[in-house]
Amino acid sequence: MIEARNITKQFDGTTVLKNISAEFQPGQTNLIIGRSGSGKTVLLKCILGLYEADEGTIFYDGRNFTDMSQKERKNLRREVGMVFQGGALFDSLSVEQNIRFPLDMFTNFSNREKQDRVDFCLERVNIPNTNKLFPSEISGGMQKRVAIARAIALNPRYLFCDEPNSGLDPETATVIDNLIQSLTKEFNMTTIINTHDMNSVIEIGEKVLFIHQGEKCWEGSKHTILDSGNQTLEDFIFANKLYAQMKKAHTGNPR
Amino acid sequence: MGRYFWMLGKVFTRPERHKIYIRQLFNEIEALGLNSVGIVVIISVFIGGIMTIQLAYNLVNPLYPTTIIGLGTRDTLILEFSSTMLALILAGKIGSNITSEIGSMKVTEQIDSLEIMGINSANYLILPKIVAVVFIFPFLFILSVFFGLLGGLFVGPTVGVVTVTEYIDGIRYMFVPYYITFSVIKSLVFGFLVASVPAYFGYFVQGGALEVGKASTQAVVSTNILILLFDLILTRLLLA
Repeated sequence: MIEARNITKQFDGTTVLKNISAEFQPGQTNLIIGRSGSGKTVLLKCILGLYEADEGTIFYDGRNFTDMSQKERKNLRREVGMVFQGGALFDSLSVEQNIRFPLDMFTNFSNREKQDRVDFCLERVNIPNTNKLFPSEISGGMQKRVAIARAIALNPRYLFCDEPNSGLDPETATVIDNLIQSLTKEFNMTTIINTHDMNSVIEIGEKVLFIHQGEKCWEGSKHTILDSGNQTLEDFIFANKLYAQMKKAHTGNPR
Repeated sequence: MGRYFWMLGKVFTRPERHKIYIRQLFNEIEALGLNSVGIVVIISVFIGGIMTIQLAYNLVNPLYPTTIIGLGTRDTLILEFSSTMLALILAGKIGSNITSEIGSMKVTEQIDSLEIMGINSANYLILPKIVAVVFIFPFLFILSVFFGLLGGLFVGPTVGVVTVTEYIDGIRYMFVPYYITFSVIKSLVFGFLVASVPAYFGYFVQGGALEVGKASTQAVVSTNILILLFDLILTRLLLA
């Protein structure tokens, strides 16, 4: 479990996160949603330690991440997998070398064991036989899958995904969502996904945290989000005409 | 300035895995060093030839022995061209390569990705580049002197400004071995600047492709200025 307690972050005097607290349970997909610029990426980066929160504390399974030394944080990060918005695959390495990279850096596996792990990861994200291709030679959806495969290579306890569906068609986006959810359950990872894609929320939002202007505005799940009664959240959700029409068809009232 | 030294502090730490570091080092020696041999040879041959002609045409005095043409070409190559001028040229080639590579990795979050894996990104990416360039620069200097002298030997007699014997006598006359030591020291310092300054500009770039391009330009300009400044300081300290 990851716990964020009273996180506040400022940039140049502007408060970007205001006193946010949340718990993210293992074995379920935890989504942080909000408009662009609402602070969700900053929150994710604070949890990861890429930004230092001005106030507040982060706990990873009870371990106080905020007070850890650089060395302790470095060790903890080996339990973390991350899927970046653009994939962040290493351009100069092939698909296989990208997935093998964390194994080379942090394990004493034999070459055979590393190869088996790479093949397993590629199989698991359903892109076998792409080992020798380079990131520039595969589609955006496949790059995301490779990024997921690399993220799970070391069998992480915590998985972070920053807008994993951006730039993908709805069908591929759903496949990626379902893949992340099934991996989360399979490996009992604590998964936090940053998104503003409502399809993802409806598909895999077992826990949803809505951030608005740097504040926690609502917390719930995909089952309760459409009937939250929270005006700011409804403005966010029903800005999408499809959802507005669905709501209208369901209740006769688009708002 | 502070950030530059902070970055160097991160760079000069023990590598995570020595095997991977050595592999990276050889890759960088090939990419940054061996791939520069061609341009070094071409520039040196031409400059050696041009310098020989220039010296011959500017020293048209019967009191000067013609051996001075070989001597002048040799000393100019050793003291300034093959160390300083070549460093300025390679700052453009190698420096922009380093800034754009690291800068692109930065803006596409590849560096964040390394950090999240628990890898010291500065150490992993920059240390092999600095070591490779510092290692290869003295060899490029020696290669440049050799091919510069060869260029003079080919061009001088071909255009008839000096004979082969006079030229060879000139390059053997009053040779000061310390000049080589002096220029090798300069090459080491310039190699460090050519790798570390562009790496700094790439590592701290923010934005997108446009900013990476701007950072490359800034890196080359800054490196060139620093090379000239250190040339002045080292010449004053080691020769005067």
